[in-house]
Amino acid sequence: MQLRIHHTTTFTYDGKATASLNQARMTPVTTPEQIVVHNRIEVSPKPWISEYRDYFGTYVTSFEVLDPHDQLVVTATSTVQTQRQPASEPVLSWEDLTTHAVADRWTEYLMRNDLVEPPDDFVERVRRIREDAARPGEAARAVCELVYDEVEYVPGSTQVHTAAAEAWGQRAGVCQDMTHLAIGGLRKLGIPARYVSGYHHPSADPVVGETVTGESHAWLEWWDDGWHAFDPKERIAPDDRYVSVAVGRDYSDVKPISGIYSGASTSEMSVEVDVTRLD
Amino acid sequence: MLSRIAESMFWIGRYVERAEDTARILDVQTQLLIEDATIDEQETCSGLVSIMGIEPEDLGTDTVDLSVVLDRLCYGATHHSSIAASIAAARESARRARETLSVPLWEALNTTYRAIPSGHFHSMRTPAVFQWVRERAALVNGTADATMVRDEGWHFLMLGRCVERADMTSRLVATASLSAGDETPWSATLRATGGYEAFLRTYRGVETERAATEFLLLDRLFPRSVVFALTRAEQCLANIDATDPRAGFHNEAQRLLGRMRAELEYRALSEISADLPTEMERLQRTCAMATEAVTRRYFAGAEALSWTGVSH
Amino acid sequence: MAAMFEGYGSTGPAFDEMFDGDRLRPPYQRLRHSLAELTTPELVSRVDALQAGYLDQGVTFDIGGEERAFPLDIIPRVIEMDTWSTIERGVQQRVKTLEAFLADVYDAGEVFDDGVIPRRVITTSAHYHREAANVRPPNGVRVHVSGIDLIRDNAGEFRVLEDNVRVPSGVSYVMTNRRAISAALPETIAHHRIRPVAGYPQRLLAALRAAAPAGVTDPTVVVLTPGVYNGAYFEHALLARTMGVELVEGRDLECRRGRVMMRTTKGLEPVHVIYRRIDDEFLDPVHFRADSVLGVPGLIDAARAGNVTLANAVGNGVADDKLVYTYLPDLIRYYLDEEPTIKNVDTWRCGDDDAREEVLDRLDELVLKPVDGSGGKGIVIGPRATRAELDELRGKILADPRSWIAQPVVQLSTVPTFVDNELGPRHVDLRPFAVNDGSRVWVLPGGLTRVALPKGELIVNSSRGGGSKDTWVLAGPSVPLDEDELASIQPAAASDATVDAGDAVDAGDAAEEGAEQVPSPEAYPEQPTSAGPAPTESPQVVEQEQQQQQQQQQRQVQVGSDAEVGRC
Repeated sequence: MQLRIHHTTTFTYDGKATASLNQARMTPVTTPEQIVVHNRIEVSPKPWISEYRDYFGTYVTSFEVLDPHDQLVVTATSTVQTQRQPASEPVLSWEDLTTHAVADRWTEYLMRNDLVEPPDDFVERVRRIREDAARPGEAARAVCELVYDEVEYVPGSTQVHTAAAEAWGQRAGVCQDMTHLAIGGLRKLGIPARYVSGYHHPSADPVVGETVTGESHAWLEWWDDGWHAFDPKERIAPDDRYVSVAVGRDYSDVKPISGIYSGASTSEMSVEVDVTRLD
Repeated sequence: MLSRIAESMFWIGRYVERAEDTARILDVQTQLLIEDATIDEQETCSGLVSIMGIEPEDLGTDTVDLSVVLDRLCYGATHHSSIAASIAAARESARRARETLSVPLWEALNTTYRAIPSGHFHSMRTPAVFQWVRERAALVNGTADATMVRDEGWHFLMLGRCVERADMTSRLVATASLSAGDETPWSATLRATGGYEAFLRTYRGVETERAATEFLLLDRLFPRSVVFALTRAEQCLANIDATDPRAGFHNEAQRLLGRMRAELEYRALSEISADLPTEMERLQRTCAMATEAVTRRYFAGAEALSWTGVSH
Repeated sequence: MAAMFEGYGSTGPAFDEMFDGDRLRPPYQRLRHSLAELTTPELVSRVDALQAGYLDQGVTFDIGGEERAFPLDIIPRVIEMDTWSTIERGVQQRVKTLEAFLADVYDAGEVFDDGVIPRRVITTSAHYHREAANVRPPNGVRVHVSGIDLIRDNAGEFRVLEDNVRVPSGVSYVMTNRRAISAALPETIAHHRIRPVAGYPQRLLAALRAAAPAGVTDPTVVVLTPGVYNGAYFEHALLARTMGVELVEGRDLECRRGRVMMRTTKGLEPVHVIYRRIDDEFLDPVHFRADSVLGVPGLIDAARAGNVTLANAVGNGVADDKLVYTYLPDLIRYYLDEEPTIKNVDTWRCGDDDAREEVLDRLDELVLKPVDGSGGKGIVIGPRATRAELDELRGKILADPRSWIAQPVVQLSTVPTFVDNELGPRHVDLRPFAVNDGSRVWVLPGGLTRVALPKGELIVNSSRGGGSKDTWVLAGPSVPLDEDELASIQPAAASDATVDAGDAVDAGDAAEEGAEQVPSPEAYPEQPTSAGPAPTESPQVVEQEQQQQQQQQQRQVQVGSDAEVGRC
């Protein structure tokens, strides 16, 4: 289906910011699963812009505003044609995971840092899943389902820097935490797993032409002779309602906006996303 | 040259001159207070402190006597308008621009400064300390004159010195009209500038307030006069900025200083003398605005910004 | 002076560079005979003059707040032509390999696909900066300046101890040491043909200019320094001055529309090449530490856009990682299809199962170093450790084997050093400097020899009494002196330390340009003393300066007099 997304981030500074330099990761990439029909990033006040692809292949728009401003508004508009294939059957065996072609190639998606490190009791559950799973692909899905079953989606229950272990401990979190947790579990089993940021249309059956409030969303992909996506918050493999924007090891690699400013003492940020099915 | 370095050179010039001229002013005043018993110490000291730009609220005391004056304007390194603070600031600016200064100049400044932490400065009493400051300033200026290449750095150094000199001479003139005692303060004031003999020669021994004011403000040949300093400052700006427009001035600082100088030269002296304190204050404000103009034009953005990270 | 060499006595198995038992090695013959008639008091007076000269010129450093002359031993180290050729080739080979390696790991990563080195070694390195992944240097050079640290083992063979390709420092002392020794031992210099070192700034400038972005015909080069509080500021200022380029701090630069500009009295002027002496982490608050006041926001983006060249490139630190060091011989074979000209010090990676077994068996014989350590921290010297310390070490290795490497105890070579008014052997290492201009890797003839001055010190850096020596690379083969020559060597009358012997130094003309000017002492500013932060300087800046200062000091060589390789 064809989706149009508006993603607006507003920074409000207390006092005037004399300068700000930011990097936005809000541009979807064309892949076999989605074609980017159109994309535009607008910034007010008018900045100087440069674009590049980062280490993980994500499009980054870098912009600098060197005139005093008390507000910065960044709006990304994307029109994307999605065409996902249905989830395929597991292919690799557990031995395949230990080969150089997998373990060395995807070593970055096997390392665990504080953000994704799974807590011991979770690891226990994950190990049991491993025992019953003939193939890594099966285990991967089961781990994601475990996260869905046990962790409740509670907006505001965590912060941007909350570690997965903490979310597990309180059995509550948002999509970012669930994704981190599942990633940690998968990596513990030696399955390369990566973090995906993007958007999805919240309705199960989107109505053409209807604009709904959406959100910045996160899910994961694991390697099984190809990257397989799964959304632990919705307990489904992403379908045509999903648009991916950035991939990385964890949230810190895919931040929609990051940067620096000088002059003002604090800044506040607000985000709005809306999604419209066009076709 | 780098804005940051140019700014340092400018301020070296200003701070060294400030230290020297403050010493001159204090020399006159302390001498007067000692010599003339009829002078009201409190009134003179309060007036002096105010002319030097210190607000009464900042004094932290109601009784303003000589010891307060000496602390605030000479020895107290924490008071930003004191001689000690000026010397320290000059050396700090020199440290940042060290690569641009000649080695002898750096050493002259550094050695002068070192007298403060070593205690030597504070061990000197008045008037010996003022003499010492004048000598060190002469050494610094002479060394600069002898060893510095006449490039942009030099012109900024001179510009700072001239702007400060115009400013401080105006304060010196203002303090001369302070003392309400029997003795005329003008001979002491003229002596403090080192121009007393020159004045006597020029004015054939007739010492009047009018003549002294004329000499200190308007004399085109005496190096410590305000007009001389302003003219020199204009020359520095012209050297720094070689473009010569057909009409007017591109350079705001040049315009401000030139206008001030023209006013002084073309207005009747009696007009100026009628309200000397106010006129001198105007001059000081002009110097401050000229400094701002110079800063905006040549030193802009030379301060380090601090950045805050933000991420969503 | 001949008497001074009596009872010299080398230390055990260490290779002494001057004496082979009782025999004098050829490179040092002329030196010995030239010094032969100097008495001890005369030598002492020259040493005093040398130190006074350094203090006056400001070639100093701080120990605990006290400013001392940079410790330069008066006895030079002599390296003969053939030995140097090998070193030169080895250093060039090393730099070329590291260049190829960096280009590869920040791009296609073929070295991983071909299984030469596990990708994990690179991706887990703290210096692997993904921000630099798509920054392509205009002329392909990432390692414009490098310092390849070498030691000499028991057999007298040179070995690479460590590669330094981030912000290597010390070259300024190479030049000032040469100048100082020419003033202290003019007659001795006159009897040798030594390759000059004064040409370094011109070589560096040429390489920096060659690295300018495409299409810039007259590039503006600057040296970017953290400022006066940095321990290496003396070097930054010296290099800027001798290259004739502006010395700038972060606040003098600004990125506008992806270009780097310098704030001058005439407005903003473009900058094309930045020789930056600031670590990656402090360089650009946009991509690295946002709290850095030393850096310039937008620098990386400007480099990526191809509008400015950063020398050395961002992200080089992954190549001088201790683990990567262990793979260097394989990398040389992989990229250059050559055998290493200079070997590594034998190293075992505890992460490898077989190596680990052997290491654990011989813990009490080996030196164990943490991969992430610096400044000598965490190093355990087996033969000197107690039972308890070894057990603790064993536990740490088993818990995290990948974080440890092991090396044998290496006896560093010794060179005669004048300490406490007598000559004795002291352990040394060598840091040659190399400049890569894109078409050639030029190696400065000589380099910084660092010597452990106190006897019996284990791990030494400059803050614990380390010193340096002038390093002479002979311009011709060392021909042994015959009887007549021996007889004819008459020392000149003891001369003033202030005699200007600049020309005599450049008598060696070999393959080098002849007429470099050795910078005059008056040209060196005094080393700023750390008299405390300026009132107007923010504490943040001072702290970062001091952090940088500490990092610099920790990179000084540690040379053990018992010759353990106490370095990291």
